[in-house]
Amino acid sequence: MLSVAGLTRRFGDHLALDDVTFDVVPGRMTGFVGANGAGKTTTMRIILGVLAASSGEVSWRGGPLTQAIRRDFGYMPEERGLYPKMKIRDQLVFFGRLHGLDPIRAGERTDKLLERLSLSERAGDVLETLSLGNQQRVQIAAALVHEPIALVLDEPFSGLDPLAVDTMVDLLREEVTPEVPVLFSSHQLELVERLCDDLVVLSRGKVVAAGPVAELAAGPSSTYRLVVDGDAGWLRDVPGIRVRDVAGAVALFDVEAAGQEQRILQQAMSRGSVLEFGPEKVALSDVFREATR
Amino acid sequence: MSDQQSTLRHPWELVAHREISTKLRDKTFIGSTVFMLVLVLAAVIIPALISGNGGPDKIAVLNDAGAKIVQQADAINGDFESVRVADRTSAEEAVTGGDVKAALIPADNGYVVLGDDRVDSDIQNSLREAVVNIGMEQNAAGAGLTPEELRANTGLHEELLNPGPLPEIVAEFVNIGLALAFYMTALGFGMMIAQSVVQEKESRVVEILAAAVPIRALLWGKVIGNTVLALAQILVIAGASLIGLMVTDQADILGVIAPVAGWFVVFFVLGFVALAGLWAVAGSLATRQEDLGSTTLPGQMILMIPFFFSVFAGSSAKTVASFIPIASSMAMPGRMLTEDVLLWQPLVAIAVLLVATVLIVRLGASLYERTLLQTGRRLGYREALALKTS
Repeated sequence: MLSVAGLTRRFGDHLALDDVTFDVVPGRMTGFVGANGAGKTTTMRIILGVLAASSGEVSWRGGPLTQAIRRDFGYMPEERGLYPKMKIRDQLVFFGRLHGLDPIRAGERTDKLLERLSLSERAGDVLETLSLGNQQRVQIAAALVHEPIALVLDEPFSGLDPLAVDTMVDLLREEVTPEVPVLFSSHQLELVERLCDDLVVLSRGKVVAAGPVAELAAGPSSTYRLVVDGDAGWLRDVPGIRVRDVAGAVALFDVEAAGQEQRILQQAMSRGSVLEFGPEKVALSDVFREATR
Repeated sequence: MSDQQSTLRHPWELVAHREISTKLRDKTFIGSTVFMLVLVLAAVIIPALISGNGGPDKIAVLNDAGAKIVQQADAINGDFESVRVADRTSAEEAVTGGDVKAALIPADNGYVVLGDDRVDSDIQNSLREAVVNIGMEQNAAGAGLTPEELRANTGLHEELLNPGPLPEIVAEFVNIGLALAFYMTALGFGMMIAQSVVQEKESRVVEILAAAVPIRALLWGKVIGNTVLALAQILVIAGASLIGLMVTDQADILGVIAPVAGWFVVFFVLGFVALAGLWAVAGSLATRQEDLGSTTLPGQMILMIPFFFSVFAGSSAKTVASFIPIASSMAMPGRMLTEDVLLWQPLVAIAVLLVATVLIVRLGASLYERTLLQTGRRLGYREALALKTS
């Protein structure tokens, strides 16, 4: 488990991070969301040791995160960058070896990743001759080549078309074994909702929400939505529930005690056809908006 | 991962290796090396061709006696050949027309050497000696003496109390040449180091590098990789000029240079490493290639001032320069070649240089660590010194 505890970072008078604490659980993808300037990149740079924290610490499996351990991490910085004039295969082998692979293993891993990203025939090409999308693929390969024990990806999918996103997501799912914690930041909430198991929401340097996506997005579990083929206005007279909204055939209501919703359903069915019935889900964007307000 | 750590090389080795292999594939680098190689070979071979292989100097003569004198002169010293002409008029024509270097014409009480606007002193001396020898042999025979008896007790030999290793003019050239070799290499590679650092900042790859290995390993890899390259370049050029010297029969100059070569390498490596640390800082202060003009200025000054000092200063100033770090890399090897320098002097200079190198590199490393990840804007040296580690 990768944990950050009480991270605080000041830039001059500006408090960029204020007591940021969260865990990244192995085998789960943790989405890291927040508005621009909320402190996501600062947090990630501190985790990778390229920036020092003013206070607080990052720990790995209960112990301090050392440079030697960090070397086995995979990192994709927000500002992309590789050697523009270096051949992509040479480049990936170099990064693999820099992260501690022996030359043979680095070569094997590089070839496998290039194959997987359909870049095998470009292996001998200089990076800058590739399209931006392909350069991005090489960038993610550079973060994965050494079979990292943890992954920190800053906006890994920004600038990619939906197809490329799918390829990358598949690749990530293949590469990320159950012992690897993954932290990735994104402002594409739809994508985060689709991919992430856990979520950390940052606002102005503070963690404002954290937990499994399922829980955060479930909303208040006592709200239900009912759609019938007639008018749903009769709900207003049912005791024990609080109607939030009725608009013709569609109604939204809160139950005061669990199980009550089942009685409502039976009642609705006895009155006519029920087209839809279930707990009301809250879109992640609403959670986000709510949390960062 | 953990089981791979054992087979792992030091990160700086990887960085150095990348630095070297990138440069070896860089057409600009290869081009400039080839250019220097051609330049040095030309400097070694062309003068030899002009002076040596232009064929023997032709001397016009009127008769067998003249031809014999030219033959004798050729045997004594130099490379002369006689050309038979009919009379003095045609001899004069041959001289003014440039067909011969000089003409040897019989005259009262000996010979006259005809030249166009002047007679080369070598030709004059050789001919005079030949004329005297042959004349004395004849006179000796007339007086009933052998040539040896006649020449007895007339020998004059030179014996120097403080022989300089090299003739003065050659010494001057070698002095400048050695200083220039260091100056050019340190400046050329220095700029390349600064560029390679700023390229990593510009392309943002530095963030991945810094996350993977300690920043000091990046610095050391760059410094060591470029030092190896610079030394290899010097060796290749030295090897080529060596072959050039041997081909053109100038190998005797090696006997003078060889003993100083080892010292040159020591001074070169220490001076180069000290500067390399500074050049890397010049790169890490910049954020774009365009910033290098101003951030490398101190480095250029540190090289240029001692260079002109060690080349053009008088000999006592040069002696001082040969103890000052960086300047010593340019001044001491030349002094050792052209003066008699006591052994303690280079040893002290190396000790001073070594201490300075360690201090400069440590300061460089700490500046490099503080500034490498500052990608926002160009920093000044004073600002960098005031920065805390990120």
